[in-house]
Amino acid sequence: MKIEVGEVCCLLGTSGSGKSTLLNLMAGLEKPTRGTIKIHGKHIEKMNEKQLAKFRQKNIGFIFQSYNLMPTLTALENVSLPLTFRGITKKIRDKAAANILKAVGLEKYIKHKPTQMSGGQQQRVGIARAFVSKPPIVFADEPTGNLDSKTTQEVLQLMLALGKENNQTIIIVTHDRSIAAFADKIYYMLDGNIEKIEENNEENRGINNEA
Amino acid sequence: MNNLDLLKMALGNLWKRKTRTFLTILGVIIGTSSIVIMLSLGIAMDRSFQEQLSQMGNLNMIEIHNYGYYDDSMDSRQSKKVSLNDQAVASFKQIPGVEAVMATKRAHYKMGVGRMVGYVSVIGIDPNVMEAFDFKIDQGRLLLSTDKDAMVFGKNVPMDFYNPRLRNSYDYRRGSNGNTVDLISNSLILTSDMSYGETRNNRIEEDSKYTPPKPHNVKGVGILAESFSEKDYYAYMNITALEKIIEEDRRANRQDSSSRNRGRDTNKYETISVKVKDMNDVEKVQETIKAMGFQTYSLTDMLKSMKETSAKMQAILGGIGAVSLFVAAIGITNTMIMSIYERTREIGVMKVLGANLPDIRKLFLVEAGIIGFCGGIAGLVLSYTVSFGLNKIGRGFLGSMGGTTGMSVIPIELAIAAVLFATFIGIVSGYSPARRAMNLSALEAIKTE
Repeated sequence: MKIEVGEVCCLLGTSGSGKSTLLNLMAGLEKPTRGTIKIHGKHIEKMNEKQLAKFRQKNIGFIFQSYNLMPTLTALENVSLPLTFRGITKKIRDKAAANILKAVGLEKYIKHKPTQMSGGQQQRVGIARAFVSKPPIVFADEPTGNLDSKTTQEVLQLMLALGKENNQTIIIVTHDRSIAAFADKIYYMLDGNIEKIEENNEENRGINNEA
Repeated sequence: MNNLDLLKMALGNLWKRKTRTFLTILGVIIGTSSIVIMLSLGIAMDRSFQEQLSQMGNLNMIEIHNYGYYDDSMDSRQSKKVSLNDQAVASFKQIPGVEAVMATKRAHYKMGVGRMVGYVSVIGIDPNVMEAFDFKIDQGRLLLSTDKDAMVFGKNVPMDFYNPRLRNSYDYRRGSNGNTVDLISNSLILTSDMSYGETRNNRIEEDSKYTPPKPHNVKGVGILAESFSEKDYYAYMNITALEKIIEEDRRANRQDSSSRNRGRDTNKYETISVKVKDMNDVEKVQETIKAMGFQTYSLTDMLKSMKETSAKMQAILGGIGAVSLFVAAIGITNTMIMSIYERTREIGVMKVLGANLPDIRKLFLVEAGIIGFCGGIAGLVLSYTVSFGLNKIGRGFLGSMGGTTGMSVIPIELAIAAVLFATFIGIVSGYSPARRAMNLSALEAIKTE
């Protein structure tokens, strides 16, 4: 399995097919029992916890199914959290966070706490958080699992648009074929194996992507 | 992650669980204030001991005697023969920390003022060091080094005079029935003749051979301020003048003096007092003097044993307080562990978003530290309030006995130490939960749905 820079790829499979596990392995959250994972030529399965933390900080953005926003923080603070972990000053990170919140259309909700927002809005904050530090790779684990179909479309469009802007690699895990239709490449997974790799061509894709 | 962000995030987390945070802090408040109050009682006791002692005399003073006896310690035989003379005075002055040295000699005389007579103990003293040794004048003036026959008197000396011609007044225990004589006068008579001024039938001994020594004319120049110490009962004069009088008396009555001379051996002075600049040096100086072979006495000896007693008391009282702080520490640990269970997911998300591991640990340590710190500060406020109340009540039933120190004293050092200690306890209690948070697997953490 090989994923190119700037590619949008989708891991498609039913539950228990191992798609989430594959994502966790790639994100360095889990250690493989065998095999290797190389990102930018680096073996991430050989890194220790500390190195992984640094690696994630620099290279990875993560979008969760259940948003996982910090309940005590405002939208702005949530979005700037990855920058906070990097030790970036408040002024710079607030500006970056405000910009990206504007890009996801939430400029009016900057001061809102997660509980004061709808699911779609929360996920947009989650997306803003994943993209704010401009990581080369963004992982999305069932990003639309908790959203209705209309919001799903919006959220996916948003993700792909943001990813295209900076030529970021996006890896989406889903069981929904309609979502997979947005990807450049689809990995069909079954019982822990990749069954089939399908490349989408221009016509049947929801959004244009030059990889 | 910079420290300000960390602090803000920690405060936010604590604020989210206000009630629990407050209850945990309450534990620390009770723990801190019980330690502080208990210790403050001990400190107040210490202070009032010291106050009482300093009323008894000067704590900076060491008295050196030479009674000529050997103590039973092993080096008694070899102990070199030392005597209280000018050489000793000079060597005491050399000891670091010594501010002044006063050599004194004591003699007993009878004194006459007009018709009144009284027994007076005269202490010969170097007028130059009087001020250093806390002689304060009430009326008249202190001795000057140029004075030859001038004397100053302790506050209670004038009460010891009586008129031998009045039968009823012969009761020198009660003095002259409250009547005092004016001793600031130029015509005082000082004599070693103990029957001076007595009426014939009161004479102590009638010996035909006995020729009374010649009386000396002296003048009184001052009365000392009341010091509530032995100083109130002595008369003081220039030591050279006193030596001259003793010498004259001895020459006038050879028989008497020769017998006295034998007992005096090599000691030129009866007592040498040393004043030490800093009270904390008293013990050291005293040891040095003891090592030279002298016998010493100071109130510090007593203070030392009193301090030991109060240190024991403080240890017991502090221990009682420490128990409640210990319980509070367990409370902090419990709160932090609970908070980690509750925030497992949050911690996981933080890890996935790229939080450095030490930052996660720091976050929890800071939260625990804040609980400790706030508890310490609030505990201190409570302690000061209770201490104020105790002193108010204590004044009521202790009255003047309690002195000026009151029942409870919280010095600023104790206050600072208490806050630091409470913070420290907080951090220590939070350490193991913080480590646990740091070591949570990011995956496990986000899996929890």
